[in-house]
Amino acid sequence: MIIWAIAKTTVGDALRKKVLQIFLVVTIGLIVLSLSFSQTLSFSSQRGVSADLMMLKSFGLGLMALAGIFISLVLGVSLIPQEIERRTIYTILAKPVTRYEFIIGKFLGAILTLAITTGLMGVVFIATVVLKAWGAEQPALSKVAAQGITGVGTEKVQVFDMNMLWGVILIYLQFMVLSSVVLLFSTIFTSTVNFFMGAAVYVVGFASTIVQSLGGAEGAGPFLKIFYKVVFYVLPRFDQFNMPNQLLHPEASIANMGIYTMRMFLYAVVYALLALVLAILIFQNREV
Amino acid sequence: MSVAEAIVVQGLTKVYKGRLGDGVAAVNDLNFQVNQGEIFGFIGPNGAGKTTTIKMLLGLLFPTAGTALVMGKPAGDIDAKHKTSYLPESPYFYEHMNAGEVLDFYCQLFRMGPGARKEKIGELLDRVGLAKDGQRALRQYSKGMLQRVGIAQALINDPDLLIFDEPTSGLDPIAHKDIQDLILSLRDQGKTVFLSSHQLSDVERVCDRVAIINRGELVKIGSMEELLHAGRTIITISKPQTGLVDQLTPVVEHVAAEGDRVRLYVESEETVHNVLDMIRDKASLISVVPQRQTLEDLFVEIVREVRK
Repeated sequence: MIIWAIAKTTVGDALRKKVLQIFLVVTIGLIVLSLSFSQTLSFSSQRGVSADLMMLKSFGLGLMALAGIFISLVLGVSLIPQEIERRTIYTILAKPVTRYEFIIGKFLGAILTLAITTGLMGVVFIATVVLKAWGAEQPALSKVAAQGITGVGTEKVQVFDMNMLWGVILIYLQFMVLSSVVLLFSTIFTSTVNFFMGAAVYVVGFASTIVQSLGGAEGAGPFLKIFYKVVFYVLPRFDQFNMPNQLLHPEASIANMGIYTMRMFLYAVVYALLALVLAILIFQNREV
Repeated sequence: MSVAEAIVVQGLTKVYKGRLGDGVAAVNDLNFQVNQGEIFGFIGPNGAGKTTTIKMLLGLLFPTAGTALVMGKPAGDIDAKHKTSYLPESPYFYEHMNAGEVLDFYCQLFRMGPGARKEKIGELLDRVGLAKDGQRALRQYSKGMLQRVGIAQALINDPDLLIFDEPTSGLDPIAHKDIQDLILSLRDQGKTVFLSSHQLSDVERVCDRVAIINRGELVKIGSMEELLHAGRTIITISKPQTGLVDQLTPVVEHVAAEGDRVRLYVESEETVHNVLDMIRDKASLISVVPQRQTLEDLFVEIVREVRK
């Protein structure tokens, strides 16, 4: 009950942050507007409906990822420091609340907020793509019916692509991991330091394959190789959550997006739990 | 378990480490105890270590040395927190909530069910005089109203020990008086109140015992009677018979004449009786006013002495 009460309060407080609201509205607005972008760009008319849909998906997922990362950082960095600055933490921890309940409640509140924002962006994104695909399918079908044309020259359009849903879930999972990292940092650093630390972890984690190859590079010294390997194994592999290429190009290597998403779900949950346990251990001895 | 002392502090020390490894003792070897059912004043100048001590009692800060027991349990223990409540100076709450929602949140921290919460919230809002404003967002509240919400949240668990940090700071006289009355009513209910305040007149009025700290160290502790010695008495007479003032002058400390009135300053109680015998039928007695040292006098005297 205590954890849930803290989580609910965190959600209510977070959703009222102006910066979060503005980012959400702008992102949703841009996703909807992307519908008209694809119609007006000249290359799409040359490449057909598939190119339009590809662009919509790429643009939408990219926007969601960008907005989500920013929201995760803004939300996460202030989770603990803001409670201390505002002094709300004093009256909470003076009640029969353990420190681990407080940390878990804050984390749960953060990932619930991210679920709400990602859900909103995801629904708009999927609806936009479905609308575009459905709009393209109708004229094609009427043309086929009227002229009796079959097969040659017509373009098959899939109105609902399940991979879009997997893509949105993967994006959410990476926000969850990022939030756990930022929460861990917020038990140690101030909000500003935490923001840059979180952003740095995201960038390095996103470039994990580069870090891995640096660890195996011929010219690198033994210490540098160990350093790159530690970074590769310790930091979350954010690039693995970003699969727009597989979404846009179904012929790409991932055979089953559902199974892949499930694997990444397990990875995200384990990583977030480890970060959470570490955050609890640090906060247990933190003076407020 | 029943304990005679609500708070027992032994050798409590808090040293803040500086960047260069040097330490600053915010609280140094503090020893005192607060008995159950008393109102205990905790006073000291700014930076004396009052808030640091309170934070250690609540388990928000960890002592460098020494121990603090709250309701028989180590400071910060969950069982102790069930019996304790805390009202910080200028409490801040989540502004998007209204008073009812804030109290509902704090009630949930005590694992209260929905029915019990609803009943408790109504009762508390009524008690602090916010029954009509309970549904307004806190951002529309005045400082006094926020303080009332703070008091309400401190009363949720019907605590045995209440720790108040500057509860009347910045309040208007009405709100100030309400809080004073509340503290006195808590004593009538057998509660223990640990009151840290700069309002020395409040402390003097409501507290049974007082501890004065300065630069992290306990300077003085005791009951009001023990700390504040009886002062002199001023006896005012009029129309004294010829020669009476001359007879009184060697007996009293000081004589001041204003028109047909004479003020006699007397130090001891015994002398007061002697003077009253001497003036009988020889002058009109206007008034006998015993003067007592105030807590403010004592506080200023102690702090100045320590600073010397």
